[in-house]
Parts: sequence; C-alpha cells; structure tokens
Amino acid sequence: MARPNSGGRLAHAAMLVAIALALIVPIAVRAAATVSAQQIEESLTCQCGCGLTVANCNHPNCEFSVPAREQIEAMLHRGMTGPQVIAFFRHKYGEKILSAPTTTGFNLLAWVMPFAALLGGGIFVALAIGRWRAHPENPAPALDSAARGGADDEMRRRLERDLREGF
Amino acid sequence: MPLIGQLALALALILAAYSIIANVIGARRSIPTLLASARHAIWAYCAMVTVAVAALLVSLLRSDFSLEYVASYTSSSLPTFYKITALWGGQQGSLLLWTWLLSLFTAVAAFQNRRRNPEIAPYALATLAVVAIFFLGMLNFVTRPFDMLAAVAPDGQDLNPLLQNYWMAIHPPSLYTGYVSASVPFAFATGALIAGRLDDSWIRSTRRWAIFSWFFLTLGNLFGARWAYEVLGWGGYWAWDPVENAAFMPWLVMTAYLHSVMIQERKDMLKVWNLALIGMAFGLTLFGTFITRSGVISSVHSFTQSGLGPYFLTFLIAVVALYAALLIWRLPKLRSPAEFESYLSREAAFLFNNLILVGIAFAVFWGTLFPVLSEAVRGVKITVGPPFFDKVNAPLALGLIFLMGFGPLIAWRRSSLDSLAKTFASPALFGLVTGVCAFVAGLREWYVLAALSLGAFVLGTIVVEFRRGVGARRHLVRESAPAALINLVAKNNRRYGGYIIHLGVVMAFIGIVASSFFRTEIKKSVHEGEFFQVGPYSLQYLGLETTETPHVETSRARIEVRRDGKPIAMMLPAKLFFKRNQQPATAVAIRSTPAADLYVVLAGMDDQTGLVTFQVFLTPLVFWLWAGGLVMAFGTVIAMWPNVRERAAIAASLRAAAETPVVDEPLRRRA
Repeated sequence: MARPNSGGRLAHAAMLVAIALALIVPIAVRAAATVSAQQIEESLTCQCGCGLTVANCNHPNCEFSVPAREQIEAMLHRGMTGPQVIAFFRHKYGEKILSAPTTTGFNLLAWVMPFAALLGGGIFVALAIGRWRAHPENPAPALDSAARGGADDEMRRRLERDLREGF
Repeated sequence: MPLIGQLALALALILAAYSIIANVIGARRSIPTLLASARHAIWAYCAMVTVAVAALLVSLLRSDFSLEYVASYTSSSLPTFYKITALWGGQQGSLLLWTWLLSLFTAVAAFQNRRRNPEIAPYALATLAVVAIFFLGMLNFVTRPFDMLAAVAPDGQDLNPLLQNYWMAIHPPSLYTGYVSASVPFAFATGALIAGRLDDSWIRSTRRWAIFSWFFLTLGNLFGARWAYEVLGWGGYWAWDPVENAAFMPWLVMTAYLHSVMIQERKDMLKVWNLALIGMAFGLTLFGTFITRSGVISSVHSFTQSGLGPYFLTFLIAVVALYAALLIWRLPKLRSPAEFESYLSREAAFLFNNLILVGIAFAVFWGTLFPVLSEAVRGVKITVGPPFFDKVNAPLALGLIFLMGFGPLIAWRRSSLDSLAKTFASPALFGLVTGVCAFVAGLREWYVLAALSLGAFVLGTIVVEFRRGVGARRHLVRESAPAALINLVAKNNRRYGGYIIHLGVVMAFIGIVASSFFRTEIKKSVHEGEFFQVGPYSLQYLGLETTETPHVETSRARIEVRRDGKPIAMMLPAKLFFKRNQQPATAVAIRSTPAADLYVVLAGMDDQTGLVTFQVFLTPLVFWLWAGGLVMAFGTVIAMWPNVRERAAIAASLRAAAETPVVDEPLRRRA
C-alpha cells in the first residue's frame, strides 16, 4: 500500500492532534455557569501566608480567611454575582489574591503554554513515528503474534521460553 | 563531637576530590591500581560523612546547646524520637543527610562496579563525586552544621511543631532517598556519554537504581501527602504547593524514563530521549532542592529557607549545561536504527505515554515558575494555585490512565484492528458498563464518569492479562491456579510487578477523583452533650480533657460517633500548644473506612460560653489513595526483586559491550 507523502503525513498528524486538543481544551477551560461561595473561596488565595486557598486555609482563627468567608457569604446574600465578588477582592488586594492566573494578556501564556507544548510534542511524536514507518531501516515483513492470531500466542511463547530456560 | 564532625566533613571533601582525579586519570590511562585507589577513596569519604552524621546525632541526643544547629532545632524537653528526626529538620542537617545518602549510594555503586563496566564506571563515580563536592562544599564553607555559638544556650528553640509528627520522620528521608538515588542512573548516563559506551549497558546496569529511586519518590510523595492530610488540618492532602510540585516532577519524569527504556532495551531506539529523560529527572531533583531552600517561591512545606538559592541555581545551570553539551557532542554517535511499523503498537503507546507524562511535568514546572516570570516581566505578583493545576492536568490524567490500560496489552511492532478488538473487548465493555451504572446511580459529573470508566477499563486489562497468563500456564504446565499465578509473577516479575503498580495507580486515581469531587465540610459549634449530623453519622461532643507534659499542653475533645443509633467509634481531635516555641498545632482525628474518611478538627474553644467548634470533613474513597500507594510500593518491590533471567541478560549485555569497541576512542588515545 502506498504511504502518504511527508506533507500529507504532517497534515494527517496535525489533524489528529488538533482533534484531540479540540476535545481536551474546552474541557480544561470550561467555566462554571453558576458560582457558589465555595467556588469563590477556591478562586481566592488566603493572604495569611498558609499558601492555601480561602476555602482551604488551615488556620481555624485565621485573620484573613475567616472574615473573607463571612464577607463572601454576605456579598452573595446582597445579590452580588460571583465575578463581582471576585473583582471586589482583586481590586482590594491586587492580582495575587486570585488562586489562578486570569485568561487575558500575559497571563494567557500560563494557560496556553502547557497545551502548546503538548501539541508541539504530539506533532513531533506523530511525525517521528510516521517517518520511521516510511523508512524502516530494518523492515520486518512478519506481523507479530498478536496481529497474526491473537495475544495468546505471545503468552504461550513466553511460557515456553520460561520452561526452556528451566524457570 | 563538633570538632570530629567538622574534621570528618573536611576530610570527606578532600577524599571526594581525590576520587575524581584518580577515577578520571585511572580511566584515561587504564591504570587499575589508580582506579582501585579511587574506589577506596570513595569508601573512605562515605565513612567520613557517616562519622559527621553520627557526630551531629550524638550532639542532638545529648542536647549540646553549644552547637548552633542543636540550639536552633531542638529543646531539652523535645522527645528523643524528634531529637533524632531534627537531623533533617533544619537546613544544615538536611543537607548533611542528602550528602550522606549520596556517599552511601556512591559507595554501593563503586562496590557493584568494581569488576564490571570498566569504561563507564570510573566516569560515573567521578560524576557522583562532583555532585558530592558541591554538597560537601556547602557543608564546609557555606552552611556548616557544626558551627558553635559564642555562648552555650540555656535551652534550644525547639523543632517546628508541624515537624513533630511521625510522617515527617519518614517523609523527608524517603523523598531524599528517591532524589539522591536518581543521581546514580544519571551519573552512569554521563559516564556512558564521556566514555562513548552508548549501548544500553548503562541502562541495564542502573535499572534497579532507577526503580529504587522511583519507589522512594513514590513513597516520599505519598508520605508527604499523608503528612499534609494529618497535620495541616484542612481535610486535603495535596495543594499544588511549589514544594509538592518539586517532588512530583521528578516522579513524573522517572515514570516516563522507566517506560521509555523498555523501548531501547527491546529495539535499541530512543537513546537520545532516554539520556535526556534521566538528565531531566536529575535536574528536577536539584530544582526541587533549590525551590525548598531558596525562598524564591513561598511554600507551606519549606522549613529550611536560606540564602543558598544562588549556589544551587549556579550548580543546577552548570549541571544542565554540561550534560546538554555532552549530549550534543555525542549526538552523531547516538543515532540508532529506527524500526516503527505502526501507530497501533506498544512502542507508539509508550511514546504517547511519555509525551503525556513529560507534558504534565512541564505544566507543573511552568505553573510553579510562572509567578516568578510574571513578576519579572510585568512586575506584578500573581498566584498559580490548585485551580490552574487541576484544570490543566485533569484531562491529561485521563489520557494517561487510558494509555495505562491500552499500552501494556497491545503488541510490539503492530496490531491489527481484529486483534485489538479481541484483546480489549472485555475491558472496554467493563469500563462502559461501570460508567453506565455510575450514571444510573445518579453521578452526573462527566469527569468522575470518565475516571470511573477508564479505571474499570484498566482494571479489566490487568485482570485479562493475569487470567490469560494463569490460563496458559495451567494449560502448558498443568499447575493449580494459585501455583500458576505465583509462578507467573515470580518468573516475569518486572512485567507483572508493573501491572500491580498500574493497579495501585488506578486505586489512587479513583481515590483522588472521588475525594476531590465529593468532599463535604461542616463547621459546628456545640455545647457538651450536644449532637450534630455529618452525612450518615451522628456526632456527640462528650467533653474536653486537658493534659500537660513539660513539652506540650494538649486539649483533647471526646466525640462519640454513631451510625443508625449505634456507637461505632470514639474520636479524639486535639489542639496542642508547644510551650518552648509558644506555637499552637492541630491534631486531627480520622476514622478511615474504604467508603469514606470521617475527619474531625477541633477548630476552637470558647471558655466563656463553653462552646466548642468542630470542623468536620466527610471524604469518600480517600482510603483508596493510600491503599493504592501501598499497592504501587508492593508492585515496585516485585518488579525490583532479583531475577535470574534478568541477571543473565545484564551479564550478556555487559559481555557484548566489552567485546564491542567504544564508538569513540579519543579520550584513551589522547592519554
């Protein structure tokens, strides 16, 4: 069977990886439609130095997280939306209070880079396999056992080797 | 004692330096006596570091407060057990522990290779000694464990209360053992590059070291998570803290390496990739140490911040640059015959497994460093916390779990769609049915459904593989089923140990997913005798008891737990107050069952009203995270177990290597 040329392989590989990412990325960045107090607490970092989110701060009488939780509840009770509450805290304490980078400007790089690296790596691996398939230096005409007649053959061969070697 | 310790460290530095010179000259000029002398120097340097460790331990146990380290990290009332663990509770002591482990592993590697790997071993041992020189240099000139105070302190400042926990006693040594033992395969890779011995003999010779390192990295991460679970009192175990990330990244890369070397052993491919992976793994262990000590990034786990950051950064950059230069120098000689037949092959699955593992490691690395980058570029401090890491890594984890089931059962070279359908029909059906059942039972979170389905799929593939092996043995050898199972595992321990590890990963993964999605939390203030409800449990607060020792004051609440009206447990959460350093701490009470953990924190007490506040978490299936970790450890022990066939393969590989000329002789010719 004729193999596709290198341009075709590139397009093929890119398409496969793009489909995979099209499935993964929206899942990764999906935003919740409604925001609960718990979710707001998760999206804010406690400023007491514990390094945890407001939701998870481990200091029972923390001077930051305890009043912050009460304030969040009160603000939601007053009818403020989740983004408004978060914007209030951001305005008051600066960007460092957000427990994850925003998805705008330079911060977008934080979100894009891992997937871009994965995409690059995926294309590289797909192309490498494609190239190795196109130019096998030691072509092996025979199919392996699993392809021929099932994986049980491979298992039987392994066991026969065990017995032959006295194991 | 301090004088003996300082002298021993100085001698260790000199001996390590001598071993480098003797190993390099001995290898280049082929002088066996010089190589033997280098080995003796390594053993002597190991003995000297051991003396230094013993000297510091004795000083700690004797509460010798003339020593700055002892006065900083212990007190006279500190229990003896924690006086011992204070050895790694502070900056200098933990560096000393690191150096001691490195010296022990170097001594063992020197012994193992006294009659084998004549080309690689001297350079590998010299590489290990170079790493040791860095640490010994720190201990001798920068952060000295045996520095004396101008006047003897009346008492010490005590160990940080968060470190006075038995998990902290075993977590750092486990993690350090994992970190440090990764330097042995790295050193042999470096030795192979220098010597030009670029076949797989360095991999075979250090395979057990790599698994050993992975084993302890796994335990180190697990124990660290357990420590956070029990000590930090927030009901969680992993917060994507920079220090947690620093321990997780080498684990990911070592996992990729352990899979990738199988392709090189089997097909003599991916030589550059494997060398790069082990370089990355070692670099990340140094990066982890840098993060913990530099103070560049704040962390709840960092107890030893200091001004050592620039030294570590310089060393890290030098190691990475030199290793990369070696790799580039040898690149033309590292080309190997490429033989790939299909995307539907085990080698392709392993490559994609490597891609995802390294992708996750990169995402973690990127997220950990991004705050520093943001501050440098924009001048704005930002936080990259759990929401970022969860969102980025969650889909990648699903891909990894899928490949964990798919990769091991697909054939090498290529598989037909027919054979795939035959092999995977039952596991896929099992996965699908599990997902449908979970949906019918009311689960609607797509991620949990996917995780359960994929977990069941992997479990199915493992069962299929074991069943197939046992069936074939019973048919061919006429053994009973238990005997066939035992012999199957014993005679192919690397393969079946791997499957057991995969089983442990699935268990841990399900535990992580369920505990992350379905944890419930209640905060309740009650008077003595009052009840409150948490899920199916009814909790009654029975009262508070206060006890006191010279070291710590403890207020312990008694809570009776009932289910369906019947008492099932007494839980004793407590608040501790450490007198010497005037710091409070929390001792949580945990009732763990396979279904859920009931986790009670004594959050506060109001003496005036008599109200006591409890924070209670009900976390489903978190038990399986710890159980999965232990199964992973058990599988690793099986995979590491000495195997006669493997030993024969290593011997054959080393014989073949000895009969083949090295790819480049300039080093020896120049000599």
